[in-house]
Amino acid sequence: MSVRALWIISHEKGENVSIRFSRRFSTVEHRAKCLAGPSHVAVPEESTVLQLLLTELGLSDSDKSYVALRDDCLHRQRSPALELHVDGPGKGILWPVLAISQGPLILACLCLVDAPPEPRPPLANLLSVSQGLTLLAGLQNFLLGSGNKPDSEALASRLATLPSVLLQVCPLGTPLDVPLLGPPATPTVPTPAGNQKQPAWKTGLHRGRAVVNVALKETVRSMQYGSQSRQDLWDVYGTVTCKCEVEGVLPNVTVTLTLPPNGSPLQDILVHPCVTSLDSSILTASSVDNSDGSAFSGPYKFPFSPPLEPFRLCSYTSQVPVPPILGSYELREEENQLRVSVNLKLHESVKNSFEFCEAHLPFFNRDQMGAVDVKVSSGQLDVSKENNLLVWTLGQKFPKSREVTLEGRITFSGPTPGPTDPLCTELTAYIKLYFKVPDITLSGCCVDQHSVQVYSSAKSRIVTSRELQSKEYFIWNSTGTAPVSSGQMML
Amino acid sequence: MAVNWADRVSAFSRSPSRFLSGTTAEAFLAELLRELRDDRASDSVKVLLVSPLCEHPTLLCPSDSEGEETALELMSVFAQCPAKSVQLRCHLLLALASVLVCSSCVSVRSPASRDFLDLLLQVSQDTGDLHGDGALLSLRATACDCLRELEACSPGLLSQHLELFGGLRQRESSRFHQAYAGLHSLVLRNAVYQLTQETGAGAEQLKALLGGNTSVAWEADQDSGPTNNTDSTVLSSLILGPMGTVPSLQTGPDCKELRSILSSLLEESYLLTPLCQAALLHRLTEVVAMVPGVPPAIFRAQLLRLLGTSKVCLLHTTLLMKCAFTDSLFSAEDEAFIVKRLVALSQHPLLTDPEKLFYMDCILHFPENRPIGCGDGDETLPVLLTPRLAAALLPTVFNDSATMLARLNLLSLVYLEEGEEGEGGEGRGLAYLYEHLMSLLRIVESGGSRETVVAFFRASFLFLWHFYHMECYTSSLVEKLCELYLRHSQLAPHLIGLADHTQDRLCESNWAEGLLKALQRVITDVPLAQLTSQDLRSHLKTLARVAEEGKIAQRSTLHFLSSIIAPSSSLCVSGDWRLGNSVLAVCRRLLVHPSLDSLLVPLADILQHLACRYGDTDVQDHARLYYALLTTLSQEKLAGVLAQGATEGGRQVKKRSLSSIVADSEGLTSMLTIHQTERAIFSVVEMNPELRRDTQADKESDLNQSEAGECPDEASAALEAYRSQFDDPDFASEITLSYQLAHAQDPDPRFDQLFSIRLHFSLTDDHYEALSDISVPCLFRERPPPAVQLRLKPRRPHPTTLRASAIFTTQDGLSWHTVLPAIRVAFQQAFMPLPAPPAWRRGGKLNLFEGLWDELCSESGECAASLFCCQLKEAALIGLVEKHFLPYLISDWSRKEEFKVLFFLPPQSHVLLKIRSEEDAVHFDVATDNWQLLSHISSYLLTITSSQEDTHS
Repeated sequence: MSVRALWIISHEKGENVSIRFSRRFSTVEHRAKCLAGPSHVAVPEESTVLQLLLTELGLSDSDKSYVALRDDCLHRQRSPALELHVDGPGKGILWPVLAISQGPLILACLCLVDAPPEPRPPLANLLSVSQGLTLLAGLQNFLLGSGNKPDSEALASRLATLPSVLLQVCPLGTPLDVPLLGPPATPTVPTPAGNQKQPAWKTGLHRGRAVVNVALKETVRSMQYGSQSRQDLWDVYGTVTCKCEVEGVLPNVTVTLTLPPNGSPLQDILVHPCVTSLDSSILTASSVDNSDGSAFSGPYKFPFSPPLEPFRLCSYTSQVPVPPILGSYELREEENQLRVSVNLKLHESVKNSFEFCEAHLPFFNRDQMGAVDVKVSSGQLDVSKENNLLVWTLGQKFPKSREVTLEGRITFSGPTPGPTDPLCTELTAYIKLYFKVPDITLSGCCVDQHSVQVYSSAKSRIVTSRELQSKEYFIWNSTGTAPVSSGQMML
Repeated sequence: MAVNWADRVSAFSRSPSRFLSGTTAEAFLAELLRELRDDRASDSVKVLLVSPLCEHPTLLCPSDSEGEETALELMSVFAQCPAKSVQLRCHLLLALASVLVCSSCVSVRSPASRDFLDLLLQVSQDTGDLHGDGALLSLRATACDCLRELEACSPGLLSQHLELFGGLRQRESSRFHQAYAGLHSLVLRNAVYQLTQETGAGAEQLKALLGGNTSVAWEADQDSGPTNNTDSTVLSSLILGPMGTVPSLQTGPDCKELRSILSSLLEESYLLTPLCQAALLHRLTEVVAMVPGVPPAIFRAQLLRLLGTSKVCLLHTTLLMKCAFTDSLFSAEDEAFIVKRLVALSQHPLLTDPEKLFYMDCILHFPENRPIGCGDGDETLPVLLTPRLAAALLPTVFNDSATMLARLNLLSLVYLEEGEEGEGGEGRGLAYLYEHLMSLLRIVESGGSRETVVAFFRASFLFLWHFYHMECYTSSLVEKLCELYLRHSQLAPHLIGLADHTQDRLCESNWAEGLLKALQRVITDVPLAQLTSQDLRSHLKTLARVAEEGKIAQRSTLHFLSSIIAPSSSLCVSGDWRLGNSVLAVCRRLLVHPSLDSLLVPLADILQHLACRYGDTDVQDHARLYYALLTTLSQEKLAGVLAQGATEGGRQVKKRSLSSIVADSEGLTSMLTIHQTERAIFSVVEMNPELRRDTQADKESDLNQSEAGECPDEASAALEAYRSQFDDPDFASEITLSYQLAHAQDPDPRFDQLFSIRLHFSLTDDHYEALSDISVPCLFRERPPPAVQLRLKPRRPHPTTLRASAIFTTQDGLSWHTVLPAIRVAFQQAFMPLPAPPAWRRGGKLNLFEGLWDELCSESGECAASLFCCQLKEAALIGLVEKHFLPYLISDWSRKEEFKVLFFLPPQSHVLLKIRSEEDAVHFDVATDNWQLLSHISSYLLTITSSQEDTHS
């Protein structure tokens, strides 16, 4: 359950690649050698690892369209663990190498295989794999922060702190923790007298007024085809994020989620490890198995002892009967122009008060837009001819009728070709909706301020909030072929 | 000048080998240690200095003794470190642990490692800074981690301290109790493991172990030296699925002490970070698995918390628990729940892609309560995974490629099983997967990115891998791929790769052949006018692959080739070197095609046309070579020459040389060039004397029969008759030496069978005429060595050395040149018996001898006489004559008082000996007509007589 080596690589879309940090854990390597015996493959030097890793990730030789080592169809890219084929004197296969990549960073580690090397054990038998994944994700989070693209200076300064961070979280190759965001933890105040042990995931103690902040955020995704043969799809998932400032070594807080009387049960509930106990009924509902109609539907109690930093207390998915906005999109080619017709309908159960609501209509694989003669019944339309994009800003409210339309004609006669997308050819086109509605959830799930219990001596202030936002909300042109086959939508 | 340590250290860790090529490990280590002891250096620099020792201890301390010394140095640095340098002290501890573990000082329990252990134990117990700033706490935590790593690397090392760690863990209330918990659980696990390995160990031993009063004998055993940890199984996880066996400790149901320790660890597990919790639970799972007396139900209280977790490592631990305890901890409902959970997690919108991939992998290796398969690591589906459940994981075009492929693989397995069971809705799932493949194809067709293209071909391979027997889909796939290829000929390498791999991996299927045939058809059907040069290049590449298929008729390919090089096309005129070589590559494969007979004429026409008309000389040359090969070699030989290069190293690996990029990629260079061996493969050795005598006897009789004549009575007449023979310049001018070829000692199986060996000799001086080459048909290691006769024509019969080399062919058809060990021709090897006319009897020869003797002793000029004496008993003398002089003996063998011996040395030298035993010594009277030979004669006589003395003394 240890890692043999760790690498952090930065790149710009496969260019300017460099290893920014690396660490080998010699004692783990020593164990690896004992465990694997003669089949042991030593970790090669940085440059070799880099080359092999890039090849395996499909990032090497970006100027060549086909490189057998990289593009071979036998390649087992479907596993989370890569194989690095080391050539030369230390010939052999380094496995399992985990790599996660986000933005400009690739983080990789080589896990210890604490099992007989032959036959190769399944990944599921190696605890080091899930440990490695957790460590890498933690480091990624630490380096990139919540935003995906930190400036290079911030990244460099965080990289510079890695040696001392690793001393805390992974001194000898066995991951102990993931680094905390923000500045390195200040030395903790020693625990006052008492027998209660301080949790290892709590770096210090809060002093002062108790404040508990619970934010519930739901995200809705949708694929609407407007076709008889193809079922429209949508799903909702929610997260409950907490920030608790409560005194005590191990204070108790309980957050309760409730559903309206006819609400469909929350599914696939995942909880933060600080949750102390769970009722089995909370976990039963699953999105992949709808047979259980008589499922438990709340209230969902989550007793926990909070860490100091904000954390995601739990997440769930939910199946709501209707999408918040139902749309239809029709395109027709008419001689040299495209007839566009859009209709969007806000469902009556959704509060008509948006933080923002926009519909984007991109047109791919065509010449640049020429004349755009499009009318909207509400909101305003921006035309971005360079990007072949119509942005329809609906603002804060739908009209009373809760229905808006867009009609018109577009010619594509510009001098240069517009943007391309292999997915959206000819009449295969979509509208993508971006919206956020404060203070509602689609599932009806809510956290009542009074249901939050804090077992502490001081009176506490409790703040709750909720909101709904869209993500990957597509409405496909019903006159073209949508690029998805039948079946459930899983983005 | 201040050294920039940051740069130096980073240069070292970037490439230790390059760094150490500029200095030595020893010197660098000394530098590091010196700087560490330097008070002026700052802590941050020192932390940097320690890192090479942490990361590459084996490079810097290659031997135990160096590790030991370095450790002692580091410990003294540690001792002198001010208390406030916490970071540095922590790093020093890590470096010490690394150096001592990796130089195996720990496993042999060296003095330094004992000291270090004491130091760690002391630091880990030092609770003296309760009122400090907590800095010492992190040092303690690091010390615990070092202890844990030492125990992990040398299991059982800390078994005696089990109780101590338990106590420390319980007393610690700061968040560093986690470090003690990790240490305590690992030591416990290893100690229990050790007990399972001891025969007769049971409840009592376990109790003693946990109570800290381990029996004296055991401790003594511990201290006496290294425990036997050559066996790595103790390092390995004990939870390995149905095939793994867990050693067990029979304790009976009563192990209160162990239970209470386990409960206390489990109770506090919630307080650990998820990573440490997972490790702890894994260790405890192993302990409970080893001690049947503790029921797995001890974990039950934790299960719900763990099953609901969002952390991948904690859920993974739960799966490992399930693997270890199956239905003794998890009910059938639990199992159904976990499968559902895994499916849901495999597509959960809030998890990262690697996590989802990992969960999918867990589904394919699901630890079932009642596994049906043998769990040999193959991907199998849990019985509870129904198609309905799995439908949540249907691949879509919006998935990233790894997820898409993982889903496709999983769903393929699901539908494969469904198909086998022949359920009602059979085929719908498969139809979906095929439709998905087609969606991908359409994206590729409309110009998808490189990643999409690669993912599509991988998906195609996976689909074929699972469903190659579904004719309707696979043949439709061929069609679609051909259409795709026509529009995007740059996909040729992908298609060829797909064909190669399906052919290699799916032996029962002839899909690849079908694909190639279809590709050939579409390529050759396209009107030439529409071809771009990119298309042409791809088409030629594809046709070259098609030509490798023996079962595919190649007429249309030939037709295509001849039409593209036809005078009407511009290809020949343009003389594009690459295209020319692509055409040649196709031709080359056609040359070894089994249906070559029927292709001969058109192929020859194409080659001839290329050879004469192509606008590039290199291409012309190659075409001419192929043409020559085609028209002169039999099909079998042609195949032998050409096929060899193609198969060597497989399709992927291609040797490169600067001089012939193309030819070499075709494997021709290795066939048509002569390789140089690194060592001598065989040598020419003198045949053993027994055999040689036989052949010489033959030779003599040959000589005797070849000429006839009278036997003269008088010396002068004899001399005259004898001399007249030399009117013919070739008379007796050659010596024939018998050798044999012998393989060199060290066996290289490549050279066990050599063919068509051509031996070449060259002279090192001008004493002999040049030799002609000798051919030997074959040399096999296991067969008797072939004999070789060297015909030397001396100008002067002096000893000499011949250089020898050989060219030969090995079984794989490659030609080799090898230099053989030099051949020494000794003086006596030039000896021949008197070439007297064959009809002469002994009398005639004696007459000749006397005549010659008188002449040589009286004449001056070139002639000379000499005397050689030595001490030999009579028997020894007779032995000597018999051994060395018998073929040259002129006098009667029965006349032992005086032996007359004549050596004839071509071209016309004679050495005559009269050997007599005098009272004090044996006298060798020597007379010769070539005084230059005297020195050789005397050294020759010295050699043979001294060896004779040796054997008789």
